[in-house]
Parts: sequence; C-alpha cells; structure tokens
Amino acid sequence: MAAIEVQDLCRTYRSRKGVVRRRRTDVEALKGISFAVERGELFGLLGPNGAGKTTTIKILTTLLLPSSGSARVLGLDPATEPGQIRRRIGHVFGGDRGLYDRLSALDNLRYFADLYRVPVREKRARIAELVDLVGLAGKERQRVETFSRGQRQRLHIARGLLHDPEILFLDEPTIGLDPVGAREVRETIGGLREQGKTILLTTHYMYEADELCQRIAVIADGRFVGEGTPAELKDRVLDRTVIEIETFGTDERTLGRLRAVDGVASVGTETRDQAEVILIQSRVGAGIVQALLRELEGSTVGKVVTREPTLEDAYVELVQTA
Amino acid sequence: MIRAFASGMWIHVVQFSRNPFDLTGIVVWPILYATIAYYLLDSKDNPKLLLGASLGAAVMLMWSLVVIGSSNALENQRWLGTLELLVAAPVPFASVIAPITVASGVVGGYALVATLAWGTLLFGVPLSIAHPLPFVAAVPSCVLAIGMLGLVMASTFVLYRAAFSLGIALQYPVWIATGLLVPLSTLPAFVGHIGWCLGPYWGFQAIKQATLGSAGGAWKDIGMCFAVSAAYAVIGSVCLHFFERVARARGSLKLT
Repeated sequence: MAAIEVQDLCRTYRSRKGVVRRRRTDVEALKGISFAVERGELFGLLGPNGAGKTTTIKILTTLLLPSSGSARVLGLDPATEPGQIRRRIGHVFGGDRGLYDRLSALDNLRYFADLYRVPVREKRARIAELVDLVGLAGKERQRVETFSRGQRQRLHIARGLLHDPEILFLDEPTIGLDPVGAREVRETIGGLREQGKTILLTTHYMYEADELCQRIAVIADGRFVGEGTPAELKDRVLDRTVIEIETFGTDERTLGRLRAVDGVASVGTETRDQAEVILIQSRVGAGIVQALLRELEGSTVGKVVTREPTLEDAYVELVQTA
Repeated sequence: MIRAFASGMWIHVVQFSRNPFDLTGIVVWPILYATIAYYLLDSKDNPKLLLGASLGAAVMLMWSLVVIGSSNALENQRWLGTLELLVAAPVPFASVIAPITVASGVVGGYALVATLAWGTLLFGVPLSIAHPLPFVAAVPSCVLAIGMLGLVMASTFVLYRAAFSLGIALQYPVWIATGLLVPLSTLPAFVGHIGWCLGPYWGFQAIKQATLGSAGGAWKDIGMCFAVSAAYAVIGSVCLHFFERVARARGSLKLT
C-alpha cells in the first residue's frame, strides 16, 4: 500500500461579492490530479504560485475538504477520518508564521508536544534531540520573536517531527529564506530522507526539487503537466536548444511573432537586472537565430546566447505549455 | 486531553502576561469599573446597594475580559498562523479552544477580586461577605460558567475573521440579559428568562447570594452554575466540531 494515494482530486473555492446583489465566484484550484507516494519516498510537487500545491497539501493534512475525487493517507480518508491521520502525520508550512512569538522555542515545542500526545517520559529527550537535529541547540530558551527566518523555519521542522510522524508534509519550507538559511533547511530535509522518512515536499524552486526529490510532479493551473524522476524530466528537453536574447521593452505582439517562427517550441521571458531576457526553446540544429533577430528589428537587442537546456528549462516548458 | 488542556491554559496565560498592553488593561479596568459602580448609583448612604452595584460591575468586567480576551486570542491565532496547527492537532478541538476561554476566565476572576478591592480602597465600599465559604466557591464557579459560555461563542469565532468585533458586540446583550447592568425587574419578563439560560446570570446570583443573601441560596446558584456549565461544555464541543467541519469545507481557517 502506498503512503499517499490521490485519485482525480478536485477543489473549488467559492466566494461571494457584493452587499445587495450577491455574486458568487468559483475558483478551481485543483482540476483532477492523481498520484501516489510510496513509503520512504521523497516526492516533490513543483509548480508556480497559485498552481494548487498548498491546496493539495491542505487536503492531505485534513485541513481542507476536497470538492470531489478521493485521497488516502496511510490507507485513511482525510475527509472522514481526520483524527486518525493527524496522529500519524506531521506538517510544516513555509513562512515565518505558525509559532507563538512571545514564547521561547522550548515553550513552543513543549506545548505542541502535549497537543501531539508525545508521552511525558519521552518529551524532554525528544525535544532535546530535535533541537539538536535542526541546529538550534543553545538557542532553545530564546523567545521566537528574536529568531531569524531560517531559525524559525528550522523550529517549524522540529515542531512537525515532535511525534515522530510516518509522513512529513513540507509546504515550501525554504520560502523567503536567504541562500545560507535555505541550504541549512535543505540539509535537514536531506537528513530526514536518509532516515527513510516519507516526505511530500512542495516548492517552486527547481534546484531544490532536483537536489532533494526522488520523483517530481509538475503542477500548473490545478493540473499535473509532467511527472517522473528529475532525470526523466530533463530528458524531455534534451533535443532542445535554448536561445537567450537580451532586449529592452519587448511587447506581447513581438513575442507572438517569435512564437510563429518555424522551429520555435516555446517562448518565455524573464527579467535580469535592467534587461528583459527572451528565452526561446527550439530543436537542436534548427538554426533559427537569424530568423529570430529579424523579428526583433526595431527593438534594442543586447547579448544573444545559445546554450543546452537545464532542468529549469524543462520545468518552464511544462508550465508554459500547460 | 487533560495534559493538552493544562498546557494550553499555561501557554495562553503566559502569552497574555507578556503583552504590556493587555497587562496595563487589567490593572486599569478594575479601577474604572469600581469608579463607575460608585458614581453611577450615587448611593453612599446605602452600603448594601453600593456593594450590590460593585459586584455587578465586577462580574460585568469579568464577562468582558472573557469574551474580548478569548475572541482576541482566537483572532491572534489566525494572525500568528497557529489556528490551522491547533485544528490539525490530534486532540479534540474543544480541548484546544477551552483553555483559551478558561485562561481568559482566570484573568476575569482576578479582575473581579481587583474591582471589589479597589472599590473598598478608593471609595470605602463595605466588603462585608455574609457567607465566606460559599463566596470562595462562587467565584471559581462563576469563572467556569463564564468560560464555558465563552467556549460556545468561541466556536463562532473559529469561523469568522472578525472575531474581535464579534466579541465586543457580544458583551452588551449578556450584561443586560443577566441583570448586571440594570435590575432584571425593570426589564420585560422574557429578558429574565433568557438570563436563566446564561452562565453569568447564575455566577452573579451565586456571588450576590454569598455576599448579601443566604448560604442556601448561594449553594443552589452554584449548583445551577455547574449544570449550565456542563450544558455549555457539551454545546460548545458540538458547535466546535460542526464549525471546524464548515471551516474545512469553506477553506477559511487560514484567512486573516
């Protein structure tokens, strides 16, 4: 039996606007996703903001009810058997909220240990072990309000592990962290993977998914657009070349003309310093650089670089074609 | 469950005690309520009436601190991002929320004693308690009754973002329906009947009886306090379970 099984999961958020004339607005956050996570596996859900990652995690951690479809966590239904699931899972949400700021790290952990039914005899040793694991030894008596974001995030992870859960859900655990803090959190997660813990991780950082996950599902606009190991996802774009053209002030019409050039697979943009960079994926050996530059006549063009695709390009390709 | 309750109470009292604004409030409010009770009735020549008014003011403050304290605490859980974690804990939700309202009740219990003490110190209100033993039992019974009514109301705070505004709005109807603000005899009969269903009414009656009435009457009212509190505990638990499900369906637990 898989640790997590999801079948055709859908979730629609409903909101109402207006005072006299109430108008209902429906937003489909999940449009029928299916996947399974095996025991001991670190599975990544990768996607842009608003893709449906957090909604998926909230349904699996019993905080949200699905609109339709089914989910099983350790063989139990999160919608109807939340109590039994909550005892056996841990979850860590990204960001610096979710802790009592005016209390010390130790007080926070003691309280959540009581809420998560950690036996009294084991509580002290368990907290000491976790404080050590996440690198907060010596700081546990400080108030949380004095902690950096990275320290808070590591405290979150310690909180999520208090009751030694069978599955750990990590929702964007490195969001907002500086590179050093993010690396420390990734090392902690890597350590948990080595211990054989089942982990479902959501992130929108490609390198994070690549470094940590055994399998990845790419989610965009509530649907899965790709699934496989990091290597399998990279293979999808091995027959591609990426052309980067530095420009200033390109409009949507110009991008449309570039998309129409024969041999172009996808066109995207990103901002680097003051310049806008157009990223074009094409078949290897298509030789379309001159054709592309002709379409950019009238625009200010800077550097033009041709390179091999990375995993990030595979991700961008999947998300843009969704 | 008992451990979660005890730990929750301790955490919320500590969290409250570390907010200078809240601490200032619980020092200042009893003085204000004692002053209002003294000057509003202007009955220096009627010590019994003065003491009755002081008791009413003290219980009014106690109720306000519970309903505002618990609504504020729950709204804070949303801002801190801990509400989802509390919902996701593998213990009954009532055992996570009840400590918040009872912790507010404990602060309210202190405020009751402080209001009476300030009344005596500043205005010479005679604090002559006719039956000390029932009085000692009546104060925690009143704390419990008010805390449990707070629990029922807290269940709605879980569902709505504007818990604090709702808490403020809920102060006044209870003040009126329980006879804390004006005697129930001056109001239509149905208001008194509503009061009978409310814990603060029996808590106030128990304290009043122990101070100014008969010991037997005080014990009877303390008994009613426990009966009403037990009913509220059941209603609060059912409401919390129901509203938790509604919040999960709406996806409103995280909304701040």
